[in-house]
Amino acid sequence: MDPNSVIKEMQVLFDEIFLDQVVLTPELSAKQVPEWDSLMHINILVAVEEHFHIRFRVGEVEATRNVGEFAELVGRRILEGN
Amino acid sequence: MNQDLADCLRTMDPRFINDMAIHTKEAQSFTEVIRLSTLRRRAMRAGLWPKPEEGEDLRVAVLGGCTLYPFTELLEHHLEASGTRCRLFVGDYDNYTAEILEESSPLRAFRPEVTILIPSARRCVSSGLLADPPQVHRACAQAQVENLLGLCGVLHAVTGSEVILANFLLPSRMDPGSYRTRTLGSPWSFRKQVNLELGLQAPAFVQICDVEQMGCRFGNLNAADDRTWFESKQAFTPDMTERVAREAAHQIRSLRQSTKKVLVMDLDNTLWGGVIGDDGLAGIELGDTSPRGEAFKAFQAYAKALTQRGILLAVCSKNDEAVAKEPFGHHPEMVLRLDDIVAFRANWNPKSENLVEIAAQLNLGLDSLVFVDDNPSEIDIVRQFVPEVEAILLGPDPSAFVAILEDSRLFEPRSLTREDSERVAQYRLANLGQQLLAKATDMDSYLSSLEMQACIQPFTPLDVPRIAQLINKSNQFNLTTRRRTEGEVAALVDDPARPAFSVRLADRFGDHGLIAVVITEHRGETLEVDTWLMSCRVLKRQVEDLVLNEIVRLARKRDCQRIIGRYVPSPKNQMVSTLFPDLGFAPASSSPEGCAKYVLEAGRFSDRKTAIKLEPPRRLHGSE
Repeated sequence: MDPNSVIKEMQVLFDEIFLDQVVLTPELSAKQVPEWDSLMHINILVAVEEHFHIRFRVGEVEATRNVGEFAELVGRRILEGN
Repeated sequence: MNQDLADCLRTMDPRFINDMAIHTKEAQSFTEVIRLSTLRRRAMRAGLWPKPEEGEDLRVAVLGGCTLYPFTELLEHHLEASGTRCRLFVGDYDNYTAEILEESSPLRAFRPEVTILIPSARRCVSSGLLADPPQVHRACAQAQVENLLGLCGVLHAVTGSEVILANFLLPSRMDPGSYRTRTLGSPWSFRKQVNLELGLQAPAFVQICDVEQMGCRFGNLNAADDRTWFESKQAFTPDMTERVAREAAHQIRSLRQSTKKVLVMDLDNTLWGGVIGDDGLAGIELGDTSPRGEAFKAFQAYAKALTQRGILLAVCSKNDEAVAKEPFGHHPEMVLRLDDIVAFRANWNPKSENLVEIAAQLNLGLDSLVFVDDNPSEIDIVRQFVPEVEAILLGPDPSAFVAILEDSRLFEPRSLTREDSERVAQYRLANLGQQLLAKATDMDSYLSSLEMQACIQPFTPLDVPRIAQLINKSNQFNLTTRRRTEGEVAALVDDPARPAFSVRLADRFGDHGLIAVVITEHRGETLEVDTWLMSCRVLKRQVEDLVLNEIVRLARKRDCQRIIGRYVPSPKNQMVSTLFPDLGFAPASSSPEGCAKYVLEAGRFSDRKTAIKLEPPRRLHGSE
């Protein structure tokens, strides 16, 4: 799955979790969204794993720097498994 | 998903609140509850979700040896969705010892009413060697138990908080193989030992949140995940966190909520297979000769066992009464006998009407009743016409009946007292008393024929559980309906500023046990009746006169001129709305909501006459 389709599907998940609307773009990073703190992170992680039927390896989501890299990682996990 | 809720939110439809409660109850996973929580927080911001009145919200602290978010969000959501307004204090990661012990900690300033403590299983290891003898590990487990319960004790002593203490998840990995069972030093055995002792040694103000059992039910492999521990110090997987939060919310609610008191059962295809009116005594399925018959018999045995917790059994069936009673008297495989049933309604009237009559006969509110039936349309009628009654559909498979009730969570005791086991017998006594009343020509001769004896006693530590139980269960004869936790009741023992006493009653039919509770407050020249409640099974026995005599005696002993009584109306305590004026109190003031204040001059009071003989403690009929 290409990163843009991943981002499109992730948008729905974010809408259900965040109190305020967050428009996902490849360049967007967590730092730019006040609500997106380390606590919220786990909720996103679980929703994304459940939705795409994947499992991330330890630490790798934290290493992504923006939504684009996060979406690429999701694509890679869909392709390779964990 | 949740489209109906989102629609309600968009149109500001107040049905949102009720729908949210139902969706939350039915939610199956972590993500579902998180989504619901987001919707609830949006509703709060939009003003659709009710804000608590000042002081109405429950102060709940959450402490632990792990990261406490998202547990706290899930907990808050479950409490709010079920109507418990709360304010949370969230402890720092693995800082609970300091938070509890430091005198000027923010936790102490928060003054929690309930505290949830989730220690980390990673600390729950024995310092002994795997091959050490059991006593080495047992001592080590005991030290851990004492440390945890000691912290709970300090917290309770300083803040008065009730504590919900999570015990430890068992490990799910294979290592060290079956050798784990040969030593107390393996994490498997050691944690079981600690959990066991935590439960057995926990004082009344500590409730164990049984994470061990929840893990077994859910599967320990699904309950913990090393990755989430390394990444964010989560004690459990997200779905397990959701289960623990749901359970903790349930425990918090049940701290102050009364449990169900009566199980009302249908007969045909509920207590036996088939229809007694059509199939006859020999034709119904019951007993060990067929699997179905065995299942019905097991369900009866479960119902009978509930009576040991003080649950009353009643029957509500569409049948001719004589036909319906036949199996109880004559079927050899019946576990339940007519003696076990405190109210028997077999007729052709709607079940909703019969349920109302059963509640009235037992002097209980409709919300004390649980009704079970195999027939969906009967359940539907009950839900529609008497929604206060909890109606449970048992369905077509009798082998599932026991499990349905066991998982309903409606009959869980917080603590059991000997009185619970005796309550069924007491209702039987009360019925005998009613028969006698029908025969006696006048009230006075009836009352003296009862040969009543009472014992009045200040609160004692031994009576605290039963007193707390009465305080939290009595609805009808209850003047102020002020609920108190067991810890709060214990604090009243020997409190000179708040003289309090209990009353036990026995008559020639047997011992009724502890049936009345009074708490007063002494302020200068007045003694105020803070709490006065009585079990309804001793109504019209002149116990209220006896109680008033004692209140006046306490007032005089403290040189109080005036006794103040208050009536605070509740949906259920109409029966005592005129108790104080009926006993000779003068009205002093009243509020538009129906609260009323009354005064009695102690000097002008003369003891009210009763047919009850006062006895010193432990000299009643039937008690040793």
